[in-house]
Amino acid sequence: MFRLTVKNFLDKKIRFALTTLAVVAGVTMIVAVFTMTDSLRASFDGLASDIAEGTDLTVRTVQTIGSDLDRAAVPQELAETISAIDGVAEIDPGVGSFNTVITDGNGDAILPSGPPTIGTNWSKSQYFLTAGDIPEASDEFAVDATTAEVNDLRIGNRYPITSEVEQREFKLVGIFNFGAPDEHRSLGQTMASFELDTAQDFFGLTGLYSEIGVRVGGTESVEKVQAATAAAVGPKYEVVTSEVIEDETQSNFASIINVFNTILLVFAFIIVFVAAFIINNTFQIVVAQRIRELGLLRAVGATGKQISRSVRLEALIVGVFSTIVGIGLGVVGGSGLRWMLNTTGFTLPSGPIQLQPRTVIWAAVIGIGITFAASLIPARRARTISPVAAINTDQRLAATSLRRRLIGGGIMTGVGAVSLANGLFVASSTRATLTSMGIGAVLVFIGVNTLSPSFARPIAHLLGRPIAKLFGTPGRLAQGNAARSPRRTASTAGALMIGLALVGMAVVVGSSLTKSFLQTLDNAVEADYFVQSRVGNFNPSAGFSQEAATRIEELPEIGDIVRYRFSEDGMWINGKAEDLFSSDFAKVTDHLNAQIIAGGLRDADPATSIAVHSDPARDLDLAVGDTLEVTFPDNETETLSVAAIFDDASIFGNWMVDNVVWEEHINSRQLGFVTATIAGFSDDLPEPEQEQLLAATATALEPVLESFPSVKAENRVEFRQGQQDQLNSFLAVIQVLLALSLVIALIGIANTLALSVFERTREIGLLRAVGMTRRQLRRAVRWEAVIIAVFGAILGLALGVIFGVAAVVAIPDSIISSISIPIGVLLVYVVLAAVAGILASLFPAWRASRMNVLEAIYHE
Amino acid sequence: MTLTTFAAHAVEATKIYGSGDTEVRALDGVDVSFPAGEYTAIMGPSGSGKSTLMHCMAGLDTLTSGQVFIDGADLGALSDNELTLLRRDNVGFVFQAFNLVSTLTAIENITLPADLAGADPDHGWVDQVVGTVGLDDRLSHRPNELSGGQQQRVAVSRALANRPKIIFADEPTGNLDSVTGNEILAFMRRAVDDFQQTIVMVTHDPSAASYADRVVFLVDGRIVNELDGPTPERVLDMMKQLGA
Repeated sequence: MFRLTVKNFLDKKIRFALTTLAVVAGVTMIVAVFTMTDSLRASFDGLASDIAEGTDLTVRTVQTIGSDLDRAAVPQELAETISAIDGVAEIDPGVGSFNTVITDGNGDAILPSGPPTIGTNWSKSQYFLTAGDIPEASDEFAVDATTAEVNDLRIGNRYPITSEVEQREFKLVGIFNFGAPDEHRSLGQTMASFELDTAQDFFGLTGLYSEIGVRVGGTESVEKVQAATAAAVGPKYEVVTSEVIEDETQSNFASIINVFNTILLVFAFIIVFVAAFIINNTFQIVVAQRIRELGLLRAVGATGKQISRSVRLEALIVGVFSTIVGIGLGVVGGSGLRWMLNTTGFTLPSGPIQLQPRTVIWAAVIGIGITFAASLIPARRARTISPVAAINTDQRLAATSLRRRLIGGGIMTGVGAVSLANGLFVASSTRATLTSMGIGAVLVFIGVNTLSPSFARPIAHLLGRPIAKLFGTPGRLAQGNAARSPRRTASTAGALMIGLALVGMAVVVGSSLTKSFLQTLDNAVEADYFVQSRVGNFNPSAGFSQEAATRIEELPEIGDIVRYRFSEDGMWINGKAEDLFSSDFAKVTDHLNAQIIAGGLRDADPATSIAVHSDPARDLDLAVGDTLEVTFPDNETETLSVAAIFDDASIFGNWMVDNVVWEEHINSRQLGFVTATIAGFSDDLPEPEQEQLLAATATALEPVLESFPSVKAENRVEFRQGQQDQLNSFLAVIQVLLALSLVIALIGIANTLALSVFERTREIGLLRAVGMTRRQLRRAVRWEAVIIAVFGAILGLALGVIFGVAAVVAIPDSIISSISIPIGVLLVYVVLAAVAGILASLFPAWRASRMNVLEAIYHE
Repeated sequence: MTLTTFAAHAVEATKIYGSGDTEVRALDGVDVSFPAGEYTAIMGPSGSGKSTLMHCMAGLDTLTSGQVFIDGADLGALSDNELTLLRRDNVGFVFQAFNLVSTLTAIENITLPADLAGADPDHGWVDQVVGTVGLDDRLSHRPNELSGGQQQRVAVSRALANRPKIIFADEPTGNLDSVTGNEILAFMRRAVDDFQQTIVMVTHDPSAASYADRVVFLVDGRIVNELDGPTPERVLDMMKQLGA
């Protein structure tokens, strides 16, 4: 039996290829994701140890909360204290700041594209000159090799550079490699380097160092020096070894990579899931097609058990083969993925591709596992084939009865829906939510797919009606063929359904988010102008300079401005890290209507007040006048009293303090966002006057924006449009990723059609004999594909809309308050699915039209 | 007799499969003509080339050398597409089995060639054909809801519906019991008598052949004899003589 199975395989190369294709695609994706992230991790780890090299100890302010970006600086005097300690050979003070933006020779800002733009003093241990000199004068700077090359920065030229505080012009004197003398170990960050005093002054850190590196020399051990230093600097500061720095850097990188890994794996698993549908379908068809052959085997004495074993064995061979091919392709794909991400703006380090045992195990478990699992039901069916099938040409496989199908599918869909609802409304942790939703979605998909054959026939008929009308007999045949085997149509469409359900959900959630946001904007915004970094607002590694805001404030056309800042996890309340927003309490309510439901901000004491969103206020049982203990990144704890409770979290977040509090406790001077009013502007003014004021303001802003090219200023209309575009492009990215699953579904359609065409060889021969032209035949196959694809698309989008609406309902009103179902966009996806169907039909249609008529008619 | 009075004819038709030692001459210089309005049966032992002859005459297969004509058109000179259109418009087919498209109803199967041509079928004629075979009440049924005999009747109706120049039937009753088979054969006979249809039928059944006006005997790819006004007995005698 084993030999027969194998032989049988080699005879049917196309069938084999079609079956393996989907599995190969799934395994490839998984292996590609793992190898890419593993090799990223390996090169990041190497980089982390490079970074930590050169210093033995680092002295810095103790920070228990918040991101490393917010770590408070150490006073300069500390360096002298440390220098005096026995065993300290050398100290290397470090001054660094994010959001140091260079304007290139064309007047364009070099903006962060993921990795940040950093400014530092010259680092003896990590920077290695490749050209020019180390910056020494107060108007000199050096830049990393990649940035210089990409932006054509030349030694000797002068470039404006903006810090979080101000803008100055510097002369480029040197170009350096980071991490290693002969190789720039860049992660894609832009690095500008200055002389130490200049850096302090320019970054607004006069008298301060970000941290102090220490090199131990002489006979003292590192441990001893560490202890001595710790004792000398006091409890406000800590002394850590290079190993700690290396670990921290590694775990920082690892957390970025893990996010990456998780996102990509989610997509990989979606693809695998889709692939499982396709394989299952293929096996069903293959068994159905081999029914005579299997009947013959039964007739000559094979037991039902042997037959089903041979089907499972076939699956096993497909699984093993595809896994091996998939691992090979995945390794190649890993480099491809890295290249793809690099071209879309990330800069990922190069390094050898890592194929870890873990990856191979995953690939094998998934590749072989899903193939084998997908063959179980077809194998069980094959067992029931009777020996009569060998002679009786009309023998069909026993299909699952409609009743069992309805009951099974219904239960599965129901349980899935409950699990989804549990994830959306009940589960508390992110992990539980995602697990519950994931399981729910999978069950709903399988359930609906089990149910869908029972309505595939009428829907295929309905969809085929206009096609039959328009395209005559080929259309009529397409309609008939699509409806002919509802189970096959349904499961082929099922693969497409999954991808489009996810797309549909993303579309509904995204469009509801946009709609809610725009409503907020229309209702809540009183300001006339909005200033933010071109990279986006409230991005901690893309803030902008205070000076830009000051210059705008000074314009006579501008009424007044409000500055907003943001820090992720920037404070602790009740032992929990919270995101911190700050603004100017006295003016902010004139610019934004945050729907304050209790208290007020205008007259609140800025130094001791905090504003709270209604959700956390309810959770913590806070009322206006209550006090809170808030701990900031500098380890200071303040008692703040609740001045206002607001309802709209879209700009204020959950917690907001005044800028006075921010400046007291947080180093960074960067601005996240600025709103401005135009002097004399009011919505009640006649239109032409409004236009005139807007135009005058735009003209006045021009020179400011020219000197701060990283900043953009928009009026209300432009801002609204910008926000909309930003959301749309975010959605586009998600949709592109999901579209990958459509490609796999496309393989599924092609697969089913190719097998169906093969199965209908005789009928095709007959049609050709009685006068169907090749073109008409291709047309019939093509429209059959379109009907199947559109069926899947409608099913998927309908599910997606339901998922999406559920998600919107589950997301707090403070983020999404209204539901929007963009029919137009959904229709575009139906059309896209139809086009995908046409693409999928090309090969099977071509094969059908190339059949030899005579051989086809007498095909057994 | 001018050429055009033949619905189809073959000149020196030769079909060779394989080459060298394995060469098989399925047709070995066959000259044959099928006059319009005549019912011809082609008989011969297995491997005699009777099916090959039919396939080549019908434009389903190509000759190695020689020529075949349908209504004066040289099939060898036609492209695949032209051949297809010729089959659609001028040739009718009845095969032994699997004659019908399973997704189409009986009437859709009958008007299939006309529908493929995008032409409006001659409804009066189709009604007449359908009435003659007694299918009126089965027209909206699908093939799997029809008996074998009914399916063959639909097939014959389809062949007739387009008023082709010639109908080729390949063992049309091979899968039927004799009563049903005789009904089909009688109906084909009527198509010739009443509607002046030309039919060429490949068969190995002497009683089926006796419905024809003429029987052509093929052995080893050559025409070895002909019989006008056949009866089952005469056909059987002839076959015995030929050692079949």
